[in-house]
Amino acid sequence: MKKETKNYLVSLSCAVLLALLIGAVIMLITGHNPLEGYGALFTGALGTPRGIGNTLYKAAQLCITGLATAVAAQAGIFNVGGEGQMFLGALAACWVGASLNGQSPWLVIPLCLAVAAATGAFYAWIPAVMKVKMGISEVITTILMNTIAIKFCTYMANGPLKTTERGVNQGTASLDKLFRFDKLIPGSNLTETIFYIAVLTFLVWYLMTRTTAGFEMKLTGQNPRFAKFSGIRAERLAIIGMLISGALCGLLGMFECFGLQTRFKADFSNEFYFDGMLVAMIMRYKPVGIILMSLFFGVLKIGGITMQSRTGISSELILIVQSIIIFFMAAEDGVMQRLRLRRAARGLVRSAGKDGEA
Amino acid sequence: MEKGETMVSFRHVSMQFPGVLANDDVSLDIRQGEVFALVGENGAGKSTLMNILYGMNKPTGGEVYIKGQKMTEFSPKAAIARGVGMVHQHFMLVPSFTVAQNIMLNNEPRRGIFYDFKAANDTVNRLVAEYGLQVRPEDRVEDISVGLQQRVEILKTLHRGADVLILDEPTAVLTPQETEELFAVIRRIVAERHMTIIIITHKLYEVMEISDRVGVMRQGKLVGVRNTAEVNERILASMMVGKEVLLDALERVDDHDETVAIEVENLQVRDSRGLMAVNGLSLRVQRGEVLGIAGIEGNGQSELIEAITGMRPIHGGTVKIQGHDIRGLSPGQIRALGLAHVPEDRLSTGVSAKADITDNLIVGKEKRPEFSLKRVHMKRRSIRRYAEEIFRKFDIRGAGVDTLTGDLSGGNMQKVVVAREFSFDTPVLIISQPTRGVDIGAMDFIHQQIIAKRNASCAILLVSADLDELYRLSDRMVTIYEGRITGEFLPDSIEKTEISYYMTGGGSRKEAAR
Amino acid sequence: MDWSTVFSMSTLVNTVNTATIVVLAGLGCLLTDQVGIMSIGIDGMMTAGAFAAVMGSWLCGSWLMGIVFALAAGLLFGLFYAVFVVRFKSDEFIIGVAMNIFAVALTTFMLRSIPGQTGSFHPATGTVTKLPAFTLTLPGGTPVTLSLMVPLSWLLVAVCWVMMYRTPLGYWLHASGEHPESLRSVGRSPERMRYLGSLLCGLLCGLSGAYLSLGYLSTFTENMSASRGYVAVACVIFGRSNPLYVFLAALLFGFIDTAGQRMQGVVDPTLTATFPYIGTILMMVLLAARTAIRKRRA
Repeated sequence: MKKETKNYLVSLSCAVLLALLIGAVIMLITGHNPLEGYGALFTGALGTPRGIGNTLYKAAQLCITGLATAVAAQAGIFNVGGEGQMFLGALAACWVGASLNGQSPWLVIPLCLAVAAATGAFYAWIPAVMKVKMGISEVITTILMNTIAIKFCTYMANGPLKTTERGVNQGTASLDKLFRFDKLIPGSNLTETIFYIAVLTFLVWYLMTRTTAGFEMKLTGQNPRFAKFSGIRAERLAIIGMLISGALCGLLGMFECFGLQTRFKADFSNEFYFDGMLVAMIMRYKPVGIILMSLFFGVLKIGGITMQSRTGISSELILIVQSIIIFFMAAEDGVMQRLRLRRAARGLVRSAGKDGEA
Repeated sequence: MEKGETMVSFRHVSMQFPGVLANDDVSLDIRQGEVFALVGENGAGKSTLMNILYGMNKPTGGEVYIKGQKMTEFSPKAAIARGVGMVHQHFMLVPSFTVAQNIMLNNEPRRGIFYDFKAANDTVNRLVAEYGLQVRPEDRVEDISVGLQQRVEILKTLHRGADVLILDEPTAVLTPQETEELFAVIRRIVAERHMTIIIITHKLYEVMEISDRVGVMRQGKLVGVRNTAEVNERILASMMVGKEVLLDALERVDDHDETVAIEVENLQVRDSRGLMAVNGLSLRVQRGEVLGIAGIEGNGQSELIEAITGMRPIHGGTVKIQGHDIRGLSPGQIRALGLAHVPEDRLSTGVSAKADITDNLIVGKEKRPEFSLKRVHMKRRSIRRYAEEIFRKFDIRGAGVDTLTGDLSGGNMQKVVVAREFSFDTPVLIISQPTRGVDIGAMDFIHQQIIAKRNASCAILLVSADLDELYRLSDRMVTIYEGRITGEFLPDSIEKTEISYYMTGGGSRKEAAR
Repeated sequence: MDWSTVFSMSTLVNTVNTATIVVLAGLGCLLTDQVGIMSIGIDGMMTAGAFAAVMGSWLCGSWLMGIVFALAAGLLFGLFYAVFVVRFKSDEFIIGVAMNIFAVALTTFMLRSIPGQTGSFHPATGTVTKLPAFTLTLPGGTPVTLSLMVPLSWLLVAVCWVMMYRTPLGYWLHASGEHPESLRSVGRSPERMRYLGSLLCGLLCGLSGAYLSLGYLSTFTENMSASRGYVAVACVIFGRSNPLYVFLAALLFGFIDTAGQRMQGVVDPTLTATFPYIGTILMMVLLAARTAIRKRRA
């Protein structure tokens, strides 16, 4: 293992433990027993087949959104707009799917996958081009475009595309049973989409770490001037990174609606994308790290829900713990550098002292 | 204070940066009313020592005394309070502020809580009258010439009551006339105000002209202090470089292939501010020759190179590489015509510091069949084998090919750049500042590689701020001044002083007179 | 559709009211911009300020304590941001985005733990005291009610302008962003200036949050800043770092928002709610296009 990777893992473990400790202190302050809280968390996430199914699905979700952040970030562009891309992808796929109810799923599913990916990619392409061609900060445009997309989809789902079925008060027309992804563990959220997600995860990992395109994206993200100097088409790669990122988000939106919701509903996502983005940031956009960290955060997220229902501790605590981990990891570089300098200075003083004696 | 009394005293001062011992046990006294020159090659530790005196760095060993008092707190504030002023090589001026605002920065006249702009301008006008340094207080610093900016810097220190003035490479950016004016100012303030001047430089004729005493630094150590009247340029030069660096002559083989590989015709290029940095420049480089471009930095060399390599748009004229017009082509397309490029700033352009050595060596070659399957799947084993081979061949010293490039020393990082670019085996090489901030061993190695390329009939365009380097490597030299070629020479037929004259526009003035 | 409802006195008042949120946050963002920090985290500072203001007002029964609480929360977040960005030299983007998520999580958690409520704050006991408002009668005879914070924000625009262009402090702040070493070399720490810029930004965003929850509305809802912090960042870019232009950009945002609300009779309200965001993006595109054209002409 490389030295940097090892140092990083040590820092990360410390950060996670410290953050969990702070979480425990918060529980104490708000009058809860931390052992009970974390106990409920872990048994909730891993204690039952249903819990394990939910955790696995959550991890898959975090993994895709994390990789979506990472693939763009690797090419030096930050996609904060995954939430919006996810909404539009889901809405487009549901609309196309429901319009083709009754047709063969072998035709409709691939078509819907393509539509979801293309819609998400298109919505990511807009800020990417604005960034590359006009220098407009993609952080600001993508986050504003989230609000636009979510409101637009909400309007469509409750207006022009609202279902006419009786007894259903929100969402688009329901999808044909044949189009839906079946549950793998009854009662849990784990659907067949996990297989699609596994394939996508492998593909993105392969692209990012094993292909010339991934290599060139990495260099573009690290030093765009150097990439341009080396003959890499940096601007094009940044746009491609964004397109892939948007496509992944669009697909995830479709998986949610075709698996769990059976139709597009405006409240299908509770800011899923941001959870994945946090995972990607903590793991510094490294794909293998994101895959592993997704499992851990999946446990926290799903366990957090059980914790809330059993002990009354709000599940937002988990988000607090997650952001604290990020703060620690973001400070890590600066702190480590300070320590190293101080150590170097101290070493010199010591050796100078010896010279003096001699 | 009496003239000749000790003003500044360094006692066993050492400065350790991570990986570099920049100052090694330096002891030195500087006296009231003298002009003291501190000379040495790039990286000898001159600027570091003076940054310590000005409180920008805290030494890791030893003591510094100013006017007999030991410095306990190292900060510019403490140094200013004791009468030390410094004009840095890179000016410490806020570009969007006016001359007066810069001179008065952190010393602003106020009326109540408000900035009294009128008083600021009056103060500057008074300073101008007092010292005879002409500047206009209302001008914006970004709009005035480099020579004027330097005056602003000097006035800034004088206004703060400095009686010890440090000038870091003050003439590097000046025209000969501006240099003369600066020296006149120095002589005047020393004569009239008994100021102590410390001037950092590596131009020996300036040392002879302006200084009373001279200290020579080499590799962080102070190797000697002499009275200027008792030495000459040759003695100083040998003190500066030491003995071991009398480099062997480089062996040249000529094959008389006279194909022109680089052809620049009437080129015009704008700099980042939109000004014409290269203005009607023409040159040709044949295969098997090194054409050296000599010039003071900022005369269009960087823009010329960037235009030839596709990093900056061409405004007018043509550039042909191997007979192909490159206008509108991307850097990658130009490379495909058979060009490789060692850029002037390795850290910003030449490497990715966050990637390991392997990645930095393979860039640009990743789609070759030996390194990737169908230009997509990277063959990691053969890439590693190749990187290790190059790593050995170019004598890069680091823990291994997995080392992060940013952790390497300047010399080794430069070797990574040279190794990558030279192993493209292109017929055309564009090389900028190949040995800047590089130790002597690595420098000699890089020089040999360049000549080996020349002998293998590459056409090489070389830009360097180091005249010795140009003399050693070039078959032909041209001087550049304000974006134009001012003269063409064979290295063995012209003295350095003469070429300096052309570098500062002498030739073009002569032509204009004709 | 009746356009007179879009362009009317009440639209103007509404524009001003809505813009004030962005004006205050924009001034904060402007100050961090001066010291060379990209303040992605102001959305979080606003959320924290909004929550603290409601808590202060509810717990102490006084709007003044609401403001004090909001200022304290803003200051804390500003300090937090500065410690990471200035001291540890962390990535501004990562810290900013994480801080925004953190602020939403923290306030939601506290809302659910302290008063034990979900969604928005409706106290069973006690009341939330709003910021005082005053009523003016305009020449046309229309009475107009404005929150105290509205004229205060105008005053702050002026104060900010005077500080930036007429006091030494403004020049130090600017120097620490444009050329920090020049400030250091004359004996003033650019890091301290950057801390100061970030702290002032925190205070202003705290005020913005207080106005949002105690002036513009009278409750706290989860995630209530609704990306307005990012709009403020866009306004600073569009206003080219001049307080007056930033103020005008914020007014433009306020107008689009209000005009959208007025069109609700014709266009669905969910859709009109996107107008200010689309407008903000268009503003940035226009500015970028103009800069590009200027550059080409030069």
